[in-house]
Amino acid sequence: MMENSAILQPGSSRDAEAAHLTVKDACVFLSQYASALLGCGATCIRIEKNVQRMAETIGVDYSMTIMPATVQITVWDKDRQHSYSNIQKIRKSGTSFNINTQLSRLSWDLHDGRVGFGEAAGRMERILQTRPENRWLVLVLASVANASFCRLFGGDFISMGIVFIATLVGFRIRQMMLEDKIDIRLAFVCASFVSSVIASAGYVFGLGSTPDIALGTSVLYLVPGVPYLNSMSDLLDGHYISFLSRFLDATVLTVCLSAGLCGGFLIMNLRWF
Amino acid sequence: MDIILGTLQDAFFAAIASVGFASISNPPHRIYPVCAGIAAVGHSLRYVLMNAVDMHLVIASLCAATVIGLLAVFLAPRTKAPAEAVSFPALLPMIPGMYAYRTFQNLILCLRGSEEEFHHYFYLCGSNGLTCLAVLLVMAIGVTIPIFIFKRISFRATRQI
Repeated sequence: MMENSAILQPGSSRDAEAAHLTVKDACVFLSQYASALLGCGATCIRIEKNVQRMAETIGVDYSMTIMPATVQITVWDKDRQHSYSNIQKIRKSGTSFNINTQLSRLSWDLHDGRVGFGEAAGRMERILQTRPENRWLVLVLASVANASFCRLFGGDFISMGIVFIATLVGFRIRQMMLEDKIDIRLAFVCASFVSSVIASAGYVFGLGSTPDIALGTSVLYLVPGVPYLNSMSDLLDGHYISFLSRFLDATVLTVCLSAGLCGGFLIMNLRWF
Repeated sequence: MDIILGTLQDAFFAAIASVGFASISNPPHRIYPVCAGIAAVGHSLRYVLMNAVDMHLVIASLCAATVIGLLAVFLAPRTKAPAEAVSFPALLPMIPGMYAYRTFQNLILCLRGSEEEFHHYFYLCGSNGLTCLAVLLVMAIGVTIPIFIFKRISFRATRQI
């Protein structure tokens, strides 16, 4: 590439080299930034807005394609003399609104001159090291949330208790399996299976007046709500490939949790109605 | 009187549910109170619309989601978080989980009965499934439209001034 630049602009090979380096750094940074945003579950419109804001600040032209597992960016300098392309693999950090928020703020900080381009890459690395929420806190909050959910659907207080325990155990299984890097689909099947078996206590021991609601709600903490909403945002924005991939990802997980639920029914030999 | 108590109870449990489900998606801590407030307003609005005004679930969900989206767009800049980081967790308690569950329940039931039973359960499966899909879709539309209309505000939220 460097030889090419020198031929394009004879006599100013040093400038050309500098211009090329800028373009290359910008491309590497922007593609890593976009793939990090994609990996933390940001919507496509946000990725585009943030990348555009930073490209303007750095002073380069760019074109970007957002695919389900990669981001492709080509960056040009303003004179259209030098370009650099990068296909960056998605950097999965799990859905994290915290990382999403900090990365979005980084784009504004760069825009407003609070962070120089040289420091931006380091800042991004530090943001990506953000520790996830304390898992025990999440465990308790999610269980309380699912119990409240049961109440919203009209369950009584005994059903809420059953759902709380079912969620506590199921969610812990999900956490443990994901920490052990076990396939997420298998983790969902196992978690929903265990949750539904525990929640069938309402039927088996005749507890409470709404055992059907307890059983139905017990697996709902697994429904991937944020990916569904993200996919709809992409649909409305015209990013159909991203919409389909996110929607299908969420659907596969929903099918997995239903499979676990069916397994629970089978083993407990439950009959509805 | 019943409706007031019911609404308050609905708001309370929706707030708890939204905080809990939000925690799964690692949000910044400062959005929890905003999330809980918006979820309480949105979910209890749906409760009132359905029980006092007798509105259909789908329309009521659309109204509630739009209100959640609007509140989120205008409150998000105060928390320095993107609008969707506030509105998506607030929406989670409205996800029609029981309909999704009944869809699969009746799908299994219709596969192992007589012809008459098949028709009955297949009908239940279809009606629950369609309601579930419709509610999901209008929820997403309702919450996303304010973000798209007020693009300037919603994509500036994380800027520090």
